[in-house]
Amino acid sequence: MNNTLNPLNMAMKRSLLVLLLLTLSGLGLASAALAETLYVKSSATKLQAADSASSKVIKTLSQGTAVEVVKKSDKFYQVTAPGGVKGWIFKFKLSAKAPEAAGGSSGLLDALGGQQMAAKESASGSSIRGLSPISEQHAKSKGISQESIDAVKQMEAFKVSAKELDEFMKTGKLGEYAP
Amino acid sequence: MRFNKWQWTALAFALLLLGGAQASQAFDFGGLLKELEKPKTPPPRESGQTPAAEPARKEQDGGLLGLGESLGLIDKKSSDLLKGSVSTLKAFQPIGYEEERAIGGSLAVQVFNRFGGPYPNEALTRYVNLVGRAVADVSDRPEIDYHFAILNTEHPNAFATPGGYVFISVGLLRLLKNEAELAGVLGHEIAHITRKHALQTIQRGQALKGLTSITLTALNKNMGLFDKVIDEVSEILFTRGLDKELEYEADKFGTEYAFRMGYNAEGLKNFIAVLGQSHEGESSIFSSTHPTPGDRLSHLAGEGEKYKLHAHYPVLAQRYKATVQGKL
Repeated sequence: MNNTLNPLNMAMKRSLLVLLLLTLSGLGLASAALAETLYVKSSATKLQAADSASSKVIKTLSQGTAVEVVKKSDKFYQVTAPGGVKGWIFKFKLSAKAPEAAGGSSGLLDALGGQQMAAKESASGSSIRGLSPISEQHAKSKGISQESIDAVKQMEAFKVSAKELDEFMKTGKLGEYAP
Repeated sequence: MRFNKWQWTALAFALLLLGGAQASQAFDFGGLLKELEKPKTPPPRESGQTPAAEPARKEQDGGLLGLGESLGLIDKKSSDLLKGSVSTLKAFQPIGYEEERAIGGSLAVQVFNRFGGPYPNEALTRYVNLVGRAVADVSDRPEIDYHFAILNTEHPNAFATPGGYVFISVGLLRLLKNEAELAGVLGHEIAHITRKHALQTIQRGQALKGLTSITLTALNKNMGLFDKVIDEVSEILFTRGLDKELEYEADKFGTEYAFRMGYNAEGLKNFIAVLGQSHEGESSIFSSTHPTPGDRLSHLAGEGEKYKLHAHYPVLAQRYKATVQGKL
């Protein structure tokens, strides 16, 4: 039997083709609208003019800044930053996940505690400094020496600057400075 | 024109494809991919959800289940049951960052108290902080503050406590041969924090049995509960050790973080091999709280392929020698 002459089969094939085209075009539209949004992982992340660590720094972006990916190279992604500025960022300084709200509590204060936290406690993560009072209280109740408590405070107070870290990576040819 | 059953099937397939594509647009697609990549071992109560991701997940649950229901692929009873299960899971509240820091800070005090005080060498402490910060910045949880300290003990030990506290002993620094190994060891400890291994263990433990959440306010009112939590988790971290699977996971993620920063990915693996041959390793807390070096190496072996093309990445042995060796 010659199937190609069967009008029912012809109609079926035509409608399947139309459906397939519709599906593909629908998927195409969906992907076009699906521009990849990534988030800057750490503060003072450099947005650079080219996909090279030695290229000019256009601006620095703060942690959590959302950027749209334009192009990808081996180590860098070209992105559009807020305000429409385009530049390149070392790819491992970008994340698909928005940064966690570091200051967040577990959120059942009303249910369990019934009181609002102190302003310091409920502030953003970056503003939380020093050993938590409850940790110090716990240590003292267990008879742990003040030296151990102070050691944690010193550990928390020890800082390395973004500039120092960048220089360290540069001399070690690490991160975006890798050849 | 009337559609036959094949045409209806094709139409349903096309709608499903379109529905799937649009649903994937509605929530964090990158995040979903990441979820799919996650190893199966950790329990489902991972507490790293971002506020931004939360509403998107609700949409995913309702959207896909609703779509399935409307297409007749899932009956209403099953759909309701699934929706119920999803909302039951949401009832578990992850431990918040402030509570995490309070727990981690208490454990950090214990680390100094039990395993030697701080090693008094600022240059060395700075070096460890620089390597640690570089690795933490490319980890999966770079938004919190990480603090690194050297313990003044000859036993080769390393610890991480929740909230970003990382410790490495002088004895362990002596065993390491290069910066890539140091980055791998610190990466392993950072991974315990990014993957919230201790917090997961606390949430499954006896101290919090019957509770769905802990808050600083509640803990401040009930110091007995806080004491119980710290006692329980310190026993696990410092004596019994975390679940083996969590250690393997920390090895895997630690290797990955060091690699992302541009270090040779063999660093952690090489150190574990050295630890396996070292007599010092026997007196280390590693032997009582970690799987055997052989088991750890065999679990890491599967990861090797991934880094094969990057075998030329540096180990930075000279910088390590110049900064650490001979200065301890």
